[in-house]
Amino acid sequence: MKKSTQSFWNYVKAHPFLYIMLIPGLFFLFVYKFWPLYGLTMAFKNYSIFAGTNPMNAIRASEWVGLKWFRTLFSSSQFSIVFTNTLAINFLKIIWLFPIPICAAILLTSIRLPWYKKALTTAIYVPYFFSWVIIYGIFYSLLGSYGILNTFLSSIGLDRIMFFTDSRFFRSLLIFTEGWKEIGYNTIIYLAAITSIDPTLYEAAKIDGANKIRQIWHVTLPGLLPTIVLMLILKVGYILDTGFEQVLIFYNPAVYDVADIIQTYVYRIGLGQANFSLATALGLFNSVVAFILVVGANAISRRSLGRSIW
Amino acid sequence: MRIKPQYSSERGFTLFAYVFMTLLALVCILPCIHVAAKSISGGTLVVGGQIFLFPKQIQFDTMGYILKKTAFFNCLKNTIIVTVLGTFISMFTTITTAYPLSKPSLRGRRVIVLLYVFSMVFFGGIVPAYMVVNTLGLLDTYWALILPFAIIQFNMFVVKSYFEGIPESIEEAAYIDGAGDVQTLTMIVLPMSTPIIATVSLLYAVNYWNNYFHAMMYTSSSSMKTLQVYLYDTIENGQALLENLYGGAFGSTVGQSLVNITTGGIVAAAVTLSIIPIILVYPFVQRYLIQGITIGSVKG
Amino acid sequence: MKKLAIVLMVMTCAFSLFAAGAKETAATGELKGPGKVTLTRLGYNAGFDVNKNYMVPIIEDVTGYKVEYFELPAQNADEKLMMEVASGKEYDLLNLSVDQWRTLVGSGALLPLNDLLEKYGKDILAGNSKETWAALSDDNGNILGVPYMYPYDTEVSNFMIVRMDLVRAAGINEIPTTLDGFYDMLVQLKRYYGDRYIILAGPYRNAANGSNSLSFPQIVSSAFGIYNDWMVDEKGNVQYMSEHERFPELVSFLAKCAREGLFDPDWAANTTSSVTEKFASGKAIIASSDRNLAQASIPALSTSHGLGPDDFGFISALEGADGTCKYMESTSIGKVTAILKKSKNAADAVNWMNTKIQNQLYINIGVEGIHFNYDAAGEIAPINPIFADERGDSFYYLDVTDADVFKTEWPSRIRKSEAQWLAFDAATMKTNANRPQIFVENKFAYMPAAESFARYNTTLLNSLNDFVLQVMAGTRGVSDIPTYIRDWKNLGGEDVRKELAAYLATK
Repeated sequence: MKKSTQSFWNYVKAHPFLYIMLIPGLFFLFVYKFWPLYGLTMAFKNYSIFAGTNPMNAIRASEWVGLKWFRTLFSSSQFSIVFTNTLAINFLKIIWLFPIPICAAILLTSIRLPWYKKALTTAIYVPYFFSWVIIYGIFYSLLGSYGILNTFLSSIGLDRIMFFTDSRFFRSLLIFTEGWKEIGYNTIIYLAAITSIDPTLYEAAKIDGANKIRQIWHVTLPGLLPTIVLMLILKVGYILDTGFEQVLIFYNPAVYDVADIIQTYVYRIGLGQANFSLATALGLFNSVVAFILVVGANAISRRSLGRSIW
Repeated sequence: MRIKPQYSSERGFTLFAYVFMTLLALVCILPCIHVAAKSISGGTLVVGGQIFLFPKQIQFDTMGYILKKTAFFNCLKNTIIVTVLGTFISMFTTITTAYPLSKPSLRGRRVIVLLYVFSMVFFGGIVPAYMVVNTLGLLDTYWALILPFAIIQFNMFVVKSYFEGIPESIEEAAYIDGAGDVQTLTMIVLPMSTPIIATVSLLYAVNYWNNYFHAMMYTSSSSMKTLQVYLYDTIENGQALLENLYGGAFGSTVGQSLVNITTGGIVAAAVTLSIIPIILVYPFVQRYLIQGITIGSVKG
Repeated sequence: MKKLAIVLMVMTCAFSLFAAGAKETAATGELKGPGKVTLTRLGYNAGFDVNKNYMVPIIEDVTGYKVEYFELPAQNADEKLMMEVASGKEYDLLNLSVDQWRTLVGSGALLPLNDLLEKYGKDILAGNSKETWAALSDDNGNILGVPYMYPYDTEVSNFMIVRMDLVRAAGINEIPTTLDGFYDMLVQLKRYYGDRYIILAGPYRNAANGSNSLSFPQIVSSAFGIYNDWMVDEKGNVQYMSEHERFPELVSFLAKCAREGLFDPDWAANTTSSVTEKFASGKAIIASSDRNLAQASIPALSTSHGLGPDDFGFISALEGADGTCKYMESTSIGKVTAILKKSKNAADAVNWMNTKIQNQLYINIGVEGIHFNYDAAGEIAPINPIFADERGDSFYYLDVTDADVFKTEWPSRIRKSEAQWLAFDAATMKTNANRPQIFVENKFAYMPAAESFARYNTTLLNSLNDFVLQVMAGTRGVSDIPTYIRDWKNLGGEDVRKELAAYLATK
């Protein structure tokens, strides 16, 4: 007991600046992330924003209703549908979209012409700057029932494909547009990780007779592994909590059965009510699940791959 | 050991790389070119859906309208200030947090990292967030748009991950030479970390540049509007912008120059103009991303 | 190096704790006079820079008051409004939608205006009817807002524009006035054009943020006697559209048209901008629309396809085979302007609005001889383009009007665009002249704010719209109407009905 406390304080005494360096980050964390957490109690109250003299003490002034909002959420007849949709859509997104930026980053290392490499990375990065509202407009004019693609299909005698209103195609539309927007962004992260790999490892592999593909398998991928693990853990952790903005903008009643997710459903039943409590309850549910998943995924990764976020 | 000439498979791989990446880049960039073409094409053609990749009936009325008659420049200025200032502050905070946490020997490391993970996942809601900013008196200022992002946990983890990949031998060498923690960080580790600094700076910059929600919630005066809020408003209100102008009568040439200003054109022009700064800046940043390859080799 | 680091860290922390300036003392409700104060007004999202508009100096000259204008964002406007009001922002004037106003009524943040109106707002009081003031008062008779009355009582706001050139090419020469005629026309167009064109594009609505419009054309439902989501039957009972005896027929008809390809396949996904785009680009033969679409598309089509006024037809409210045709009056409160209790310049705000009413003609129409002239019938005829250039945006800055006078002035504003006027004339004016009996009184136009209505009605309307869209898309059927009614009850439908019935009983 005594021994470990001593080494703790000894360590702090030996490396005071390491702890001082942590102060700004922790400060902002507490002010902007932990202080507002008080608002989570809204999930258990019937929150009325005007109950107090300002929205914050209105939280204290609102009455406790316990698990009422959670009951509203889970007992709704739609819950199982929207829950399944949320899981399905995000799971499909991970399966289809996760490997692509990794491949793109690796392939980019084979592009030797520097100007072409810059052009390629710029080109794949630009879509990230378009907000979903703009992306919807672009893809509707491209893939709408009388859009560019369908006009072409119709002119060669094929049937039009209703990407936006046909349940069979809508999820693919969501996945594709998300990929379009985010592949560039994710590729950059992997690209930076690749550049941090020690070049001598490549030389050693070459001397061992490895060709390009074997080099990738034995040097690049292991070097990327920490980043891949980090990204994957986070993506899985957020599996219930992403894609709201995209779905809200893209979806319509014709595709509710495949695309209505938990958050859009809650948004709809709370329309015009400004029901902050219900939204907070949903957020709390998503956070708890995400926390469990992230911790769990991290533990699994530590055990099987020896790598973890902490 | 015999070194086989690897030419054919390596060539095949490189060819595949070029083809795949070019296709990917085309898929990504062609819709953007479509938008850019609409922004400088004749109004009637834009409305008529006749523009694909090449601008036709090139005109600059729409862009002129955006730049002169709307708040575009002011909003751009606001966004640039927030982005530049914010990125500096965020990078400072991120690096100073990631470095200590990257040392496995740091006492209390697990707890602190868990704090960051916890805060990443739990969110108090927009009402408390708004009230925090309000209580601090930061509403309608640049700080409201910067300080909540002073540290983004994900970015910190990315930097931490990178620092963990730096061989301990380097830092030990510095320690033996008598360097303290701060010196090791600033004189040894940071110069080696140019790619990650460039990358994470980019991630932060993009975050600040793209942020709509905070700007929308925390600012109210027109002078503090940022580019993203401006874009959203323009897209939603393209119609109202048009009612500003004379609708144009049948066969009348009075409104001829106004014919080029259409809702679709306005939206396309606003979007295109907002992308231009990024396309100009990004290639410069790229240089630092690639630079790190030859730096930091360690022997023994 | 170390020192610099410490200094930087401390600075960062300190900046973020920088607090606001000293608190100001509370204000009194006394009039300070023009030029002595700057008023602040929060309004809806405009798209143009509301502080730099040409209307601002005009209004400032006439009233003598400097005003700083603020806008709500285009999205999440309601949440931001509530947060700003609840956290004590001191706007003088809030220009609100009726729904937003109703939400704030229960908050206790709005200032009762009775005294101020008596003292400084006499023209405002005189310019609006007793019924209107009753609608804007709470249970204790406190007036909590000032109305902008919609300036036309019997407008057919939702009509259809038809490309007569395409229709004539298919062998049809007349605009249909009955439902069957309409259906036959669609079928013939489909037979002639196949899927080269969208036969009917619609609905013309902004689906996001819960709009008040329906997801199907009102001029079609008129033929079934359905004119609104909340209706009153012959016995005086308050009825929701889903309970109307002909609702199943309406929904089946719509689904049938959708199945036969007579409607846009993307009907469920359409918004105002996509319908405008489809019609203006020539992809659609008919579009369900309102005056704004006419303005946006007719000039463009004229130029691109060389069309003239004869090439556009307008379908107004359709009649059923048995002669049923019901369309709701457009009498309603358009917007409500309220003053916050926290405002320090309440008296001046009222004074400002009053001065604006006194100069209503000048601000909204302009100067005789420059912006307009009186024509032979005594109606206002605007002089374009100067009228549109110098008074086009005055609608944004309008808080309250002398309602009856404005009804005579307002139609001229439509003439700022010939296209809008063409549509308005064909759809509304002709209907008023030939079939004034189709208009049904809006019994709830003057209903005061009620709690359940404010809370649930948007969700109810949204669910109704979604249901009809789903039936049209084929994912639900007419047999699901009972299930829908059950869901409707769970969403609070009965509570709202009770409030409406209670109000009706007091009339």
